[in-house]
Amino acid sequence: MDLCFTDAQIQFQSEVRDWIGAHLERPFTSEVRDSAHDANSLVEVRRSWQKKLNDAGYLGMRWATEWGGRGATEVEEAILQAELNRADAPVIPNFLGVSLLGPALIHHGSEEQRRRFIPKMLSADEIWCQGFSEPGSGSDLASLRTRAEPDGDNFRITGQKVWTTFGPWADWIFVLARTDPEDRYGGISFFLVPIDQEGVEMRPLKQITGESEFGEVFFDGALAKREHLVGQVGEGWRIAMTVLGYERGASTLASPAEYESQLRGLVSALEQRGTLEQPLVREKLGRLVVENEVMRANGLRTLANIAAGIAPGPESSIQKIFWSEYHQRMTDTAVELLGPQGQLEARSPESRPEIDWAYQYLWSRAGTIYSGSSEIQRNIIAKRVLHMPTAR
Amino acid sequence: MQFDLNEDQALLRRSTREFLEKEAPLAETRVVMEESAEGYAKNLYAQLGDLGYAGLLLSEEEGGLGAIAFAVVMAEMGRVAFPGPFLDLTLAVQMLANCPEASAREWQDRAGAGSALVVIAQGEDIGSTDPASPSVVFEDNRVRGSKVFVPFGAQADALIVSTAQGLALVPRPGAGWNAMPLTTLDHAQRFVRLNFDDEAIRLTDPESGAALLADALRLGALGASAQMFGIMERSLEIAVAYTSEREAFGAPIGSFQALQHRCADMLIQTESTRSATFRAAWAEETGTGEAAYLSSVAKAWAGPAGRFVCGQTIQLLGGVGFTWEYDPHIYLKRLKTLEQFHGSTAWHIENALANAPLMEA
Ligand SMILES: Cc1cc2nc3c(=O)[nH]c(=O)nc-3n(C[C@H](O)[C@H](O)[C@H](O)COP(=O)(O)OP(=O)(O)OC[C@H]3O[C@@H](n4cnc5c(N)ncnc54)[C@H](O)[C@@H]3O)c2cc1C
Repeated sequence: MDLCFTDAQIQFQSEVRDWIGAHLERPFTSEVRDSAHDANSLVEVRRSWQKKLNDAGYLGMRWATEWGGRGATEVEEAILQAELNRADAPVIPNFLGVSLLGPALIHHGSEEQRRRFIPKMLSADEIWCQGFSEPGSGSDLASLRTRAEPDGDNFRITGQKVWTTFGPWADWIFVLARTDPEDRYGGISFFLVPIDQEGVEMRPLKQITGESEFGEVFFDGALAKREHLVGQVGEGWRIAMTVLGYERGASTLASPAEYESQLRGLVSALEQRGTLEQPLVREKLGRLVVENEVMRANGLRTLANIAAGIAPGPESSIQKIFWSEYHQRMTDTAVELLGPQGQLEARSPESRPEIDWAYQYLWSRAGTIYSGSSEIQRNIIAKRVLHMPTAR
Repeated sequence: MQFDLNEDQALLRRSTREFLEKEAPLAETRVVMEESAEGYAKNLYAQLGDLGYAGLLLSEEEGGLGAIAFAVVMAEMGRVAFPGPFLDLTLAVQMLANCPEASAREWQDRAGAGSALVVIAQGEDIGSTDPASPSVVFEDNRVRGSKVFVPFGAQADALIVSTAQGLALVPRPGAGWNAMPLTTLDHAQRFVRLNFDDEAIRLTDPESGAALLADALRLGALGASAQMFGIMERSLEIAVAYTSEREAFGAPIGSFQALQHRCADMLIQTESTRSATFRAAWAEETGTGEAAYLSSVAKAWAGPAGRFVCGQTIQLLGGVGFTWEYDPHIYLKRLKTLEQFHGSTAWHIENALANAPLMEA
């Protein structure tokens, strides 16, 4: 066993820390609190942050040098993510592009596609969104019905996508569409589609947080060029499923780092309320600290296995369930312990300055739904790890 | 980075599992818990002593193998709910090794060889335990007072007793111990209340005694977490095997999603215990300075997690799960015992919080 970072990795960590210290003007929570901002200007904050990260070479670090890579390993990527989360840096607007589409293009795309799309994706000059889910197909994604029909050399897309994160600001969407109605998995293809065209309509959807970060997209004979098909016709499902696994390492330490910062905020709030020494409060707080540290132990284990070349299997499902359900427990408890003040919205007078608890409390409901719901993850564990029998 | 055990540790795990499955299968635990007054197989302890197991926590020069090896062995003992005070014995051996007193050496050697049983007697009256100032006194080379929940105290050849004047070693008096057996829900345990008025040897002053007790608590928490992990791992195996076989409504019950999700939750709890425990063991072995924090994290997590896993195994077996004949109750009971000792869950939660990096100003 060895759970230590190497000297080079520690060096990288302190470089990243210094860099963040020098470049991040203020935590994202403070940006949100600033009433001078609206939804659009917050997106611009995130865009300019992404540009800085890109200029510093911190995006796509594991890719080939010509695509912004620097021969980094997943350990370094995990360190970077953890440091960014610890500092409450803005989430880059192209996180879905960088984490999903980037690997898809690098591993399955054509040379022209890489040249055309990767640089602008990294620089956030083009914002991407992910068009997988549909009103009738979420967990059972392979049942999707949006179809792509040949039109000469090109394709015409018709159907509807939904819950499309960053859709309202996106320039492009990567879409899974059906090219063969008979073949459940082999009948799905992967397209890159510009949003600014006749035949695509993007409508924002209001979330429980009150924002409209995601939207719904209607395709009515939208044009997808042949050169914007990723891989071959019928390879879409395979590509989508493999890219979902590429980013397995990056998040291993990020969640516990983020939650640790939030817990720090909780501790200072409790201190100010004068309740930090109450035994019941300490027990609840202590339990959160313990669970977060256990999550970090799981993350270190996953990362160590990746670093040692052992493919992570069940760990990624365990990790997904753990962080998303933990976040709910943590925000539940924090909002409870903070009394009425815990519910104050970021811009309300008298709200807590360090963490936007009301938002976190609501936002925590999303993690157990997206990227494979908690129920789907438990199905995966039961079948692929525990090999429990299938229903007859 | 590497989470896996190294070759020696993996070999140790294999050989320990083989040894225990052959010499100490669960059927043996039953015999011991139901029929033996001693509560453990002395000959097995001697064998394990010969093999060096009681000295696992000693320094390398003295034959120790390190905290990770210790956790590996403890996990294997958990899997078979190995009867007797083996964890307590290894802690006593480690403690004796750190007492400068000459007679400590002699007892260390005998205990390390498995030929004498030595355990630590620390607990005092329920509800009023303040480890910092025990009411038991050492005076005129005698120890006087009362200790409670001493594991296998009546069988011990010597006890390390915490007193207001430091640690003292009390060899079994000629007339035997003045011991009152306490029976708990785990019939494999042999706890006693001991009333002392016995000749003793002082091992340490109060200050170094407190430091050694803190070491024992930290290492005991690690050992208990590892045993709880082994218990959970085995318990979950039983649950999955049973639900895959047992049929109801024309299907194996393990095909019902409610039970699949329950087992998935049991796996999350179990594997997280593994991660937390071995991370703590690694910190202990490499001396990263986080050992006290991380062993409390592991122990605070393992108790409730294990209760869930062992309790749900009984649930998933239905009626047979509630019988004495089937094994799940043995694991639940051992788990419960381990959760209560080497620092309760509440104690470790507080200790984790007090030592958490995020509490530093
Ligand atoms: C904040 C947010 C952002 C999102 N962003 C995107 C995005 O950018 N792009 C995109 O394509 N999608 C996105 N999604 C969609 C997300 O991937 C889906 O919501 C998710 O896959 C679940 O699908 P669904 O909503 O149709 O729910 P359903 O699949 O209808 O599920 C409803 C409930 O049934 C449960 N369930 C379903 N099947 C099973 C089963 N076999 N066993 C047990 N329980 C089951 C689910 O766990 C859930 O609790 C986002 C969702 C959220 C909340």
